[in-house]
Amino acid sequence: MDSSPFLRLRGVVKSFGTFTALDRIDLDINEGEFFTIVGPSGSGKSTLIRLLVGMDDLTDGEIRLRDKRIDDTPANLRPTCMVFQSLALFPHMTVGQNIEFPLKLRKEAPDRRKARALELLDLLRLPQSYYDKRISQCSGGEKQRVALARALAFDPEILFFDEPLSALDYRLRKTLEKELKDLHARTGKTFVYITHSLEEAMVMSDRIAIMKEGRIEQISEADEIYGAPVSRFVAEFMGEVNLFGVTTGGDGTVTSDVLTVRPGATLAKAPAGARGLLMVRPEYVRFADDGDSYDFTLSGTLHGEYALGSRIQYEIETAAGMVTVEKLREDRRAVAEGEQLTVGFNARNTHFIDEAA
Amino acid sequence: MNASRLTRTVLFIYGIAMIAFLYLPLVSVGFASVSQSRYLSFPIKRYSTKWYGEALESSTVSELLLTSLSVALLVTVIALVFAFFGALAFARYQWRFRNTFQKLILLPIFFPQTVLGLALLMWFNSLGIIPTWKTAVVAHLIWITPIATLIVAIRAYSFDPALEEAARDMGAGTFTVLREITLPLLMPGIVSAGLFAFLLSWGNFPLSLFTTGADSTLPEWLYAKMVSGYSPLVPTLGIMSVVGSFLLILFAVAVVWLMRANKEARTAQD
Repeated sequence: MDSSPFLRLRGVVKSFGTFTALDRIDLDINEGEFFTIVGPSGSGKSTLIRLLVGMDDLTDGEIRLRDKRIDDTPANLRPTCMVFQSLALFPHMTVGQNIEFPLKLRKEAPDRRKARALELLDLLRLPQSYYDKRISQCSGGEKQRVALARALAFDPEILFFDEPLSALDYRLRKTLEKELKDLHARTGKTFVYITHSLEEAMVMSDRIAIMKEGRIEQISEADEIYGAPVSRFVAEFMGEVNLFGVTTGGDGTVTSDVLTVRPGATLAKAPAGARGLLMVRPEYVRFADDGDSYDFTLSGTLHGEYALGSRIQYEIETAAGMVTVEKLREDRRAVAEGEQLTVGFNARNTHFIDEAA
Repeated sequence: MNASRLTRTVLFIYGIAMIAFLYLPLVSVGFASVSQSRYLSFPIKRYSTKWYGEALESSTVSELLLTSLSVALLVTVIALVFAFFGALAFARYQWRFRNTFQKLILLPIFFPQTVLGLALLMWFNSLGIIPTWKTAVVAHLIWITPIATLIVAIRAYSFDPALEEAARDMGAGTFTVLREITLPLLMPGIVSAGLFAFLLSWGNFPLSLFTTGADSTLPEWLYAKMVSGYSPLVPTLGIMSVVGSFLLILFAVAVVWLMRANKEARTAQD
């Protein structure tokens, strides 16, 4: 393979009248990777995937696959395939006919088609007896698998997913997320997945792109996007977060109107003389009366305690607004509403978001 | 839902009463058709099927049936073509004037048919077209196409556009998408629209009255015979027309059923 990426987008723009849905998107996706595009509704992620599949035309820019321009190629001539949000299984065909549909279009012989369909049923852990079932006889999870099998039968260069799990219940979604990741590993195909769910993205992806208002805010590996977001939007979108306004001095020193800073506490990675936000995830915030000392502390009143299954969440009202603390259930601490508390966290568990950048 | 005993009794009586209300007139015409007397009178003194025999032998009757059948079949075919594309246009695509089109296309249904018939007759005259059963086809189409379009459109609305997109995404061209996805999925709507188109044309009187010229359809002839020179064939032909329509519906149901059975057999074989 040469140095140019597998799928490359340059300056992709899509406007509807005066509304710009996508504003100069640049994106590189590598061969064989599981790439997820996350964003709230209206961020342009669905518009982007429709351009990538060829269902809509670009207003400006170009899309290249293996260095060959594909943005002028209609959807039916592109070597890509999409699993739709509604799955788009053909209700007038059986499971087998659905899976064989792309093969039939390529005029493959019926016995070879059937052999491939049965192979795919095996790959997706569906019994071979499903071959003759009607689509309406399949459960939600089974339909997902049939849709996947059909897309794999097409044997695309890139497999696109448009939130195919969003309509399922929580348990099934969790199972299928893992299966999808597993399927990605076994097939070695390039998966491009869009979703509004951070959790889904974190479980499955190699890399994640965060979209906001038609632009890409950040592209990183899942851990980095969670631990080192580039903006308030990304930080807040990627789950519960505490943000404090701070100003950095020279050599990592930091001052804040709302935090008590331990003398000598420094932010190693923050630029000097910048105003920004100090981010700390709730699982790194501790109750400061546990005997340890912390780089940053602040006091407030307990506002509420919430059970989240395996974890407990505490909300504390402070001068800096509501601060969220999260503990494992086994580390649960007895608190009373209205109790005065001091919480603290350490510099190594924080991330500085430069607001000027 | 579990209904109480009283509710079930009331529903049963209601059902029987409705059926009686709808079918009694038909049944009385049925009795009249097997009366031996030349004139409609109750009670019937002697029963006979001789008018059926006469109807079947009469060349007038076969000519009437041929005209009515030609009009109805032609109207059905043309209306279905219009309805299919019209329904797709208004249920599936966004375009300028779409909303206006949606409303305008339904307007002819509400136009009084006698007025429409007269207007068409005057229009044909001014264009120098001599009215025959073919001009009646045009007249029927004006009234029936909107109804057929509406029926197909209801089906088209309930269908997920992603199905066509998915087929296209997997390599199907426009024609293949139409043949493999759109047509099979709209088929139930097309079958009912076809039945409606045929039956509405077959039984139409006000439009035919003005636009068939020298030709005559069955309803026209029945009307003519009732207002002047009553023929004992009237109830007979009435019943034959009803039975014919009923057989057509039965035939359509059988075709749909056979298609389904055939498809299941085929998938079982593969």
